[in-house]
Amino acid sequence: MADNVLELRDVTVSFPTDRGLLRPVDGISFAVAPGRTTAVVGESGCGKSVTALAIMGLLPGGGRIGGSIRLAGREVSTLTPEEWRGKRGGEMAMVFQEPMTSLNPAFTAGEQVAEALRIHQKLDPKAAFDRAVEMLARVRIPDAARRARQYPHQLSGGMRQRVMIAMALACKPRLLIADEPTTALDVTVQAQILALIDELKRETGTAVVLITHDLGVVADHADDVVVMYAGRVAERAPAEQLFATPQHPYTIGLLGAAPKLEGGAARLASIEGTVPDLMHPPPGCRFAARCPFAVAKCREEAPPLGEVLPGHHVACWREPLDTLLENAA
Amino acid sequence: MTAPMLELRDVVRAFPVRDALGRSKGAVRAVDGVSLSVPRGSVLAIVGESGCGKSTLGRLALRLIEPDSGQILFEGEDLRSLSPAALRARRRDMQLIFQDPFASLDPRMTVEQAVAEPLRLHGIVPRAKERDRVAELLSRVGLRPELARRWPHEFSGGQRQRIAIARALASGPRLIVGDEPVSALDVSVQAQVINLLQDLIRELGLTFVLISHDLGVVRHIADRVAVMYLGRIVEEGPTAEVFSNPKHPYTRALLAAVPGQGHTKGAAALLEGDAPSPIDPPSGCRFRTRCPHAEAICAAQIPPLADHGHRAACHRQAELPPAAARHERDAGGERLKRLQAFFSDQRTGE
Repeated sequence: MADNVLELRDVTVSFPTDRGLLRPVDGISFAVAPGRTTAVVGESGCGKSVTALAIMGLLPGGGRIGGSIRLAGREVSTLTPEEWRGKRGGEMAMVFQEPMTSLNPAFTAGEQVAEALRIHQKLDPKAAFDRAVEMLARVRIPDAARRARQYPHQLSGGMRQRVMIAMALACKPRLLIADEPTTALDVTVQAQILALIDELKRETGTAVVLITHDLGVVADHADDVVVMYAGRVAERAPAEQLFATPQHPYTIGLLGAAPKLEGGAARLASIEGTVPDLMHPPPGCRFAARCPFAVAKCREEAPPLGEVLPGHHVACWREPLDTLLENAA
Repeated sequence: MTAPMLELRDVVRAFPVRDALGRSKGAVRAVDGVSLSVPRGSVLAIVGESGCGKSTLGRLALRLIEPDSGQILFEGEDLRSLSPAALRARRRDMQLIFQDPFASLDPRMTVEQAVAEPLRLHGIVPRAKERDRVAELLSRVGLRPELARRWPHEFSGGQRQRIAIARALASGPRLIVGDEPVSALDVSVQAQVINLLQDLIRELGLTFVLISHDLGVVRHIADRVAVMYLGRIVEEGPTAEVFSNPKHPYTRALLAAVPGQGHTKGAAALLEGDAPSPIDPPSGCRFRTRCPHAEAICAAQIPPLADHGHRAACHRQAELPPAAARHERDAGGERLKRLQAFFSDQRTGE
């Protein structure tokens, strides 16, 4: 797969802190092909957002990247801040959870979309603004010409997120990273925004990395899934396969913990305990302390990510769990 | 027949809206003529999107704010007729759990102080027994009593929500309103707290009003559900029935928008646009501006909450085709269920 838009190989992110070195991302690998959506899913502190920031070169103070991040075959983890700035908004773009904090309140929606076009596509201000209005119409902002002259505070949450998407896609990036793009929005608006990202992806062939905590969103919108837990990849598979035959205990527990729209289970599967302190991660599998299948080896030695079915990787010493079912039967 | 635990009759509450210079811009009728009845020991969910008035309704139910008109009856008694002293005494019967466990606990109080405060306020146990009662309450919510001397910042979100629940239980309430009580929690921790709430509701015979935007959570724990849109209830009935046979176009759209039902549902099921401003709501049916079935009558008349199996406020409900069947992914099937059974829930807390 030489044509991957994005390839992460054994990526670590570390931050120096008063208490020592914190490593919120600890050796993760995955790749994203053009026109496909890879969901990175996990709960708070699993490292999914830090991964996104690392790819974009936006790590906050002192964050260091190890391993390799390749964008269209070119290593980006060693870029200077200037070089990285040249890629953002052009080759790669990002949509954040909270559009109000990522839009500049002092500029109109149209000016903000036009800015990227002026910088990366060297359009003159008039052409850039006209193209910005086109982009706003394309993300289905009604009455785009008028809205382009409005400021962020005059727009609804859903509309602001559409402006963000227009900004992100204005320069036809190869890679779009969407970090919880709809978490702050109401469910009916969320559905519109996710459908819009899908549609634009199909039209432009942009590769999408969708960072989310919502397995329902993953099921509807992802082609491939990376399940992260405490800074590591627990499981990685094509989406359909992941939902049909999840292999990692964490994935299995997570699927059972989400309440179902059709009701059913009287009691939710409950993953007891909390995530480990990443300042002092346990030596073995990071999920071992919460895992009902854990044995001594799980607590002592970290399991490698192995391919158990074509394209389906899992980091678990107890895999395949199905033998446990046979033994129980 | 005994009176329901809580009854609302045509309750209205408006808030004045001012512009940046403090000039009046009119009023938002946050709750506009809501009638509801919550039987003892049942769970009623109020669902809707931001700005629909669900949180205002919860606060009205507990009389934390006053209605402009209408009646709120607690066990058949109009709380508006009570003297301040009598209302204070009534307060021990009703409690509120907030969404944000980080904001709802005073950072200067230890867990013990936070849980003991309502005990003291309502004179529930003698001082000498206070510590024992706090320990009992903490273990009731799955926390080790040894944690009582710690401070809120030492706990995770899920643990804080358990502390907030212990504090709410301290006065021995019969009615609890939970305003998005699990929305700020990660899924795995959310499941722990949902299981805890369900146990408490059943074992203590609590009446619970759940305010939520999460339809999965609502389906899981509520007996009845009321769907709100721009200050009004558009549909209300037994949860299983409303979810399997939604009558109001808004309820249908809300259910169709929940992710996890496959991409095949297509763009047709999606609502266009955002909800209109509550300052200047549409005439007649407030949903008509986004409704694919709206006709002239919908702009002219407010639809009544009419009972066709369950209550729905739609002029056209009798003519609409039945709601399309939803299918939820059940890809994992039996294997997944058997594996998930290993995640037995020991209620040991975190």
